Amino acid sequence: MEEGRFVAWLRKDGDLVPEGEPLFTVEGDKATQDVEALSAGVLRIAADGPAEGDTIEVGRVLGWILAPGESIPTTGPAGTGATAAASSATAPTAPTAPTAPTDGLTTDAPSESPARAPSSPGPSERPPASPRARRAARQHGIDLATLSPTGRGGRLRERDVLTAATGRADPGEIPGAPQGWTSVPTPPMRRIIAARLVQARRETVPVTLTARADATALMALRRHLKSEAAPGESAPTLNDLLLKLTAEALSLHPMIAAVWAEDRLLLPRSIHLGLAVDTEAGLRVPVVRDVGTSTLEEIAAATRRLIAEARSGRIAPADLQGGCFTLTNLGSLGIEAFTPVPNPPESAILGVGTIVRDVVALEDGGFVARERLTLSLTFDHRVNDGAAAARFLQSLRGLIENPPFPIP
Amino acid sequence: MTDADRTSPLALYRTMLVIRRVEERLARSHRLGLIHGACHTCVGQEAIAAAVCAHLGPDDPIFSTHRGHGHALAKGVDPGAMVAELYGRETGCSRGRGGSMHLFAPEVGLMGTSGIVGPCILQAAGAGYSSLVLGDQRVSVAFFGDGAVNNGAFHEGLNMASIWRLPVLFVCENNQFATEVPFASVTGNPGVAERGAAYGLPSVSLDGNDALAVEAAVREAVARARSGGGPTLLECRTYRTRAHAEGMGDFTYRTRAEVDAWKERCPIARLRAVLLDRRLADETGLVALEHEVEALAEAAHASAEAAAAPAPEGATTHVVAGPRPGPPREAPGTGPGTRELPFARATLEALSTSMSQDPRIFVLGEGIGARGGNFATTNGLFAAHGPVRLRDTPICERGFVGLACGAAMTGTRPVVDFMFADFVLDAAGEIINQIAKMRYMSSGRLGMPVVLRGCIGIGHSAATHHSGSYYSMYAHFPGLKVVVPSTPRDAKGLLRTALTGDDPVLFLEHRELMGLKGPVPEEDYSIDFGKASVVRPGRDITVVALALMVHRTLEACRVLEAEGISVELIDPRTVAPLDVGTILDSVARTGRLLIVDEDFAHCGIGAEIAARLAEHGFDDLDAPIRRLNGSPSPTPYSPSLEAAVVPDVRGIASAIRDLCAE
Repeated sequence: MEEGRFVAWLRKDGDLVPEGEPLFTVEGDKATQDVEALSAGVLRIAADGPAEGDTIEVGRVLGWILAPGESIPTTGPAGTGATAAASSATAPTAPTAPTAPTDGLTTDAPSESPARAPSSPGPSERPPASPRARRAARQHGIDLATLSPTGRGGRLRERDVLTAATGRADPGEIPGAPQGWTSVPTPPMRRIIAARLVQARRETVPVTLTARADATALMALRRHLKSEAAPGESAPTLNDLLLKLTAEALSLHPMIAAVWAEDRLLLPRSIHLGLAVDTEAGLRVPVVRDVGTSTLEEIAAATRRLIAEARSGRIAPADLQGGCFTLTNLGSLGIEAFTPVPNPPESAILGVGTIVRDVVALEDGGFVARERLTLSLTFDHRVNDGAAAARFLQSLRGLIENPPFPIP
Repeated sequence: MTDADRTSPLALYRTMLVIRRVEERLARSHRLGLIHGACHTCVGQEAIAAAVCAHLGPDDPIFSTHRGHGHALAKGVDPGAMVAELYGRETGCSRGRGGSMHLFAPEVGLMGTSGIVGPCILQAAGAGYSSLVLGDQRVSVAFFGDGAVNNGAFHEGLNMASIWRLPVLFVCENNQFATEVPFASVTGNPGVAERGAAYGLPSVSLDGNDALAVEAAVREAVARARSGGGPTLLECRTYRTRAHAEGMGDFTYRTRAEVDAWKERCPIARLRAVLLDRRLADETGLVALEHEVEALAEAAHASAEAAAAPAPEGATTHVVAGPRPGPPREAPGTGPGTRELPFARATLEALSTSMSQDPRIFVLGEGIGARGGNFATTNGLFAAHGPVRLRDTPICERGFVGLACGAAMTGTRPVVDFMFADFVLDAAGEIINQIAKMRYMSSGRLGMPVVLRGCIGIGHSAATHHSGSYYSMYAHFPGLKVVVPSTPRDAKGLLRTALTGDDPVLFLEHRELMGLKGPVPEEDYSIDFGKASVVRPGRDITVVALALMVHRTLEACRVLEAEGISVELIDPRTVAPLDVGTILDSVARTGRLLIVDEDFAHCGIGAEIAARLAEHGFDDLDAPIRRLNGSPSPTPYSPSLEAAVVPDVRGIASAIRDLCAE
């Protein structure tokens, strides 16, 4: 991770904060994370500290934790002179990478000098910058000293300036948009989604099978569970039921959850299932742990928490990792069948379509109305053949049509 | 005035008197500070210039030395224009560009006086070659001193003139001092005329202070030359009675007594006595003539002194020909007539077309005649155009390049095919001091359409005398154009431009590309110099490469494309003029510049491009400019050593990757 979006300060300038207290929230590539104070002290926010929504680079100094009575350091680069010259309690506060903490505080690139306060700029503190970066900085009105260099030897490059500029400028102000178009910065989340999808498309051989399942019994169960729920409590959802049934089917067909690793296949020891969640910031896939050994209630509690956290953008990175198979449901949007893309490194994904009421012909020539849904299974043909995938779907369909849950 | 009038003793007397009076006036002006640079007089030697030039018409070119006032005046240069040149005035015969040592008046056949001893001999031979090609019976003359006869140009020039029976007079003014070194002390055989026998040409030794004896010998030599009898060497023994140059001491290397003795043998006084003795003139008439000439010299001084100094704005005009009118020229796109041709066949098409269209074009080189060239550069042309226009030369690069210079000065368009660029370093002085500077020295009155072509580049274990690049060296000198094509298509169009232009062109062909095949349009086309080719558009980095390096870089680009690095590759095609604009435009987009150059880095084309980018495109740079060059060493022979001194595909790819990471 090189940058993140600053969400908010959780404490005010001047607050006395204990060690471990969350200081601010930052949105990274995959998740949003609170950054905690590494030592107790007084929070001093930098005069040009980030505003909500600003893009901030890893290594940028946002503020300081000072010992009582200590003042903001005025010389030396962050992490070196500043720390050394000030008391031991002084520590520059820089954004860390939520998914890779080692990227964070220990930046190896020269970062902003605390002395870059407007009152005391000094030429010697300017980081080296390419001429092109300097010109871009002039054009965008950006102070080079606020940037984190990505060039060799700590040199600021044009891309460093443009990254900062796109984080601050109004949409459409990014230079280089073709005539007749306005451009908006690509959000980090979108870039991650794109990269993972392209990777999946490039490296796998996806095949999608669809099958219709009679969901009448399952829907009856769902209605029953709803009616049983205590007032104010929520019952397990259709997705919870399907997660449980999918785990059952995967226990019968473990190869469907296998992961391709060139000379070997990796089979999961536990069934952790991803659940695709549509959020304002885009698609997120939190992982429900140990679905195979969890009760329906435990699954429901887990999905409730994960969906809420994903939608609020506060989900922990750990909750986004470790799945072996994913379930994605576009039924609420009226979609019947589709071709979902597996979430790497997983090799298969199940798409669930909308429940439709179908007229079904009976053996005796009569007709009956049934609730049915379409299952769309995309699997990596490197890992499984079509027949194996079809057998998995067949088992899953049987489980849906005859749910093995005890109905009180 | 009839020919008889011009060669009469009285006419010679007048010419000699003009030379003497004007030079005496110049000597006074030098003491007055009117002459800014050197002033070499020929006082005491006037009979030779007067007698030789009396037999020449304005179309007969002469080539002279640093001691050339007498030749200029005898050939018909206006004394006022000559004096003005020494005074550095706009009305000077070289428009203030030359001074005493670079007097030019091609309109009367004065093809220049020179500060370098020797080249005038080769240039006169070249003028003789022009006569041969054009069949116009002009006779050319080289004036030179005894100092020049120990120079290679003398031997190479006399030999070539003799082989090809060129209509040339080689006039040695043996004044016994090579500048200030006694000739006798620096020569094994003081008999200059005897040297003619070594090359099989008629030679005469004359009393150079006897105007009538010189006149008679010249009469015979000119007649022989005009009638196809070939060249003559005339040794005219004489003595200059003033110092080597005005203001210099004269008695450190010779004695006053010796000088005084020679003053007693003054050629002017001697002819005056003859005129009176033979009653060809009377005292009254001669005195009147002497007054008239005295007044003429004073008038020349007065007009020169009154003339304006040249405007400084014009100081760099006439370095090369002016821009060609008309729309830009580029190779046509691929059409039905496009064939896959090897590089050497593509250039042969351009040369063949040009030779058919322009009878002034001829080719000089070793093995370019019936053999068709070491690299088949003239294959089949000998049969079509014959030995005069496809001339196999002795192995004397300096000689035939100097000859080409004189030919270009006198109306033909020589192509020198020197096989390998290394060989022509022997002729560097002729190229750099003469060919490159001639248009300027003549204030734009002499175009210099000379094409100098040959192979450059490392490969085939050719080792260090067949592998240099040299383009950066030539591009350093104003007046030269330097072309380094990388494809058969470009080579054909660029050679066509070279063959139809009016400036000297170094056309350097990479040895490893001579067999390279590529699409070449069948039709006739030209490609303008100074327009780079964008070989391959790209996004992340600009790479500039020439010749073989274009192809190696292209290969590297393919490797890098798979890694997501998009390279824009630019081939300048001509090193002089250099299309910096296209490179600037490219770097404005990519922010990164690498120059891949087989030649040495130090003071090379890469350094020039880098400097121009730093000057004009500094703000576009997002990373340091990088160069990847051949190693700074002579070229080794062994394949393993040879490969180690040239950038290869892997090295190029690695340099590009590295710069992209900056």
